Amino acid sequence: MPSFDAVNYSLRPSKSIQRHIVFEAVRTLQNDLDLDNMVYIGFGSIWFTDYVMAHKILGINEMVSIEASDVGFRRAEFNAPLATVRVIHGHSSYVLPTLYEDEKIRARPWFVWLDYDYELNETLRDDIRSVIENAPANSLLLVTFNGAETRYGQASDRPGRLQELLGDVVPDELSKRACKDDRMQETLADLALDFMTSVAADLARPGGFIPSFRLIYKDGAPMVTIGGIMPSKGAARIAGDITSTAGWPCRPERPIRAPHLTIREAATLQSQLPSIDRLTREAVRKLGFDLEDEQIEAFEAYYRHYPAFAQIVA
Amino acid sequence: MTINANTKAVANPTKAFFVTMITRDITLEDCILDLIDNSVDGAWRSEGSRPVGLAEGVDLSAYSIDINATPDSFCIKDNCGGMTLDDAIDHAFSFGRPAMAEHDDYSIGVYGIGMKRAVFKLGTEIRIRSTYLREDGVRESFAVPINVTDWLGDDQPPWDFDIVEDESLAEDGVNIQVTELTPGAKGAFDSPAFIQNLRRTIARDYSLHLNRGLVISLNGTAIPGWQIELLQGTDFAPMRVEYPDEVNGDEVSVEIIGGMAAPPPESADPDISDEGEKRFGWYVICNGRIVLAADKTAVSGWGSDEWPQWHRQYSGFVGIILFTAANAAALPMTTTKRSVDTSSEVYRRARPQMREVTRKWIDYTNMRKQALEEARRVEATAGPVSLYAVRKQQTVTLPRLVARPVEPVANVNYAVPVARLKRLAKELGSIRMPYREVGLKSFDYAYDDLVGDE
Repeated sequence: MPSFDAVNYSLRPSKSIQRHIVFEAVRTLQNDLDLDNMVYIGFGSIWFTDYVMAHKILGINEMVSIEASDVGFRRAEFNAPLATVRVIHGHSSYVLPTLYEDEKIRARPWFVWLDYDYELNETLRDDIRSVIENAPANSLLLVTFNGAETRYGQASDRPGRLQELLGDVVPDELSKRACKDDRMQETLADLALDFMTSVAADLARPGGFIPSFRLIYKDGAPMVTIGGIMPSKGAARIAGDITSTAGWPCRPERPIRAPHLTIREAATLQSQLPSIDRLTREAVRKLGFDLEDEQIEAFEAYYRHYPAFAQIVA
Repeated sequence: MTINANTKAVANPTKAFFVTMITRDITLEDCILDLIDNSVDGAWRSEGSRPVGLAEGVDLSAYSIDINATPDSFCIKDNCGGMTLDDAIDHAFSFGRPAMAEHDDYSIGVYGIGMKRAVFKLGTEIRIRSTYLREDGVRESFAVPINVTDWLGDDQPPWDFDIVEDESLAEDGVNIQVTELTPGAKGAFDSPAFIQNLRRTIARDYSLHLNRGLVISLNGTAIPGWQIELLQGTDFAPMRVEYPDEVNGDEVSVEIIGGMAAPPPESADPDISDEGEKRFGWYVICNGRIVLAADKTAVSGWGSDEWPQWHRQYSGFVGIILFTAANAAALPMTTTKRSVDTSSEVYRRARPQMREVTRKWIDYTNMRKQALEEARRVEATAGPVSLYAVRKQQTVTLPRLVARPVEPVANVNYAVPVARLKRLAKELGSIRMPYREVGLKSFDYAYDDLVGDE
């Protein structure tokens, strides 16, 4: 990849796009499911980008951010963007169980987004299991992890590694090929969703677990976001119906790979959209610059969510 | 009220009681296996009901059983010849089998309870359809629709199910469709783990049939049969003996095979997970169906009659005992076909031979600890041989190892976070490297770095 495509890495436009897609979709769920008084739980880090969105787009007030690092915790407290964000110091595996007992939030629906930057591992799996076993009715659980194949051992080790992590849901005949290149993220997403569904089914969660989120995005490393709804028994059918329609945006067929554009490029392209005709390379050239076909297609698909980053203090 | 010769307590059963009783003590998985057994029996009948041993060259590739299990419905359909109208009227829907009833030779179905139990466990809206060839060469079809709620509503005898005319199925066979699933069935079919495990169980329990070409598919995917293999070489050879036995006048043929399927584990620590561990132990096969798999309990003898309890040290052993009988009632299996009836005489008589081969393996693994390097060397020379190709041999052959004096050793034990260990394992060559090996390799690494050559 040419360096100008990678230089914007820290701003992660693809990540930003998938976040927008998810939050907008959850807003549509709010109309049909009983998601009032929701609590947002995640890893706000020091940036709290998702927390601001949870508040502004979904109207969520009560929020909990889990922070393991000592310095990170102090900085997180300092940077908390809203008065209602509670930062709790500790590893997720220790903090989550305390939330299940928390009088203030335990009877309200949760929107849990565990946005890890490392790979699916034992700790992460145990966190997933614990949330599915304990989250209140009508909660959502999303998990993001690194899906780069090399994080899961050498090619021949990967099927076994997945079996070690996800257990019975991994088919005995899972091939090495299914764990290579881009297929690896697909395989991880499908099997981790199967794992989540099975945990809920085995525990007879009254409304089960409805797999609803499956997004792969790539700024640097390929990341996998998966998740679902744990509806009350009565809401299971409607939750299933909404999230299985063709219009449900959280299961894009292809990975999100946003092109890295300057503000001027993005604004110029946006001025041509929306349009019935597809934006062509020819048209972009006429606008005075050039992009790969793939980049044009990605921009067209996601321009509504394309972030505008600018340096505001020199 | 006065008591006289006509004073009696009412003992009539209710249908609801019956249904609860017969479905409570069986798992959903076993119910589905019961339905598969019926189909397999059909295929076997169509093939002329021959003995179901290992050697006979029977080709079942013309037969298929398709199972579809979703949270909304369950369906099993086969092309295994179908159920006759006479069978439906007289046997298939009665609770229990009359003592004098005829049996299909070499079948697995024996108690006349499987299909009812299975469908009641699965759901409340049931339709069983059959198309078969009558003896006079005419194809006949019928259906038995059952609405369980309606049926339970009337306890007055006689208890019966309506049989109605039906369109022909595409091929002669049985088709069972269940909707309005019970919460248990719905929940299970919603679980990918349940479906995968069902696939595994079918692959294992019907491996003898699958290896003969029978096709069983679950949710559109055909299931490959397990290949049971033992290791054989100059120092290793499994035992294989065969003898006839008899139960109440019914002949039962018994065959026992046993030996090393894999070298014993490097470490006997119980906390190390080892997928292979699931394969080892005793298998009991009745008329071709595995009714007990990889058993490590007192059922096959471990921890009884001077056998020690199962221990990880004994991993690597596989023993198989096959009982084959024209009359399935003579076989030592329980009604769920998920275990062995340990009180069965034919089974008890086989136990000493099972014990002998197990005992030899136990002795070998003990001796092996004193001559580990030698053991590894000879074990590596043994190659796999299919269950079907094991030669007849009265006892198992295992190498005699000579113990060598060993240096005194120190055992090191420490705990580290799993994530860190995995990262180190990956750098040392394999993310799946056993913990013990990661420990040894990191010791060697540090030793080489800090101590070097002495």
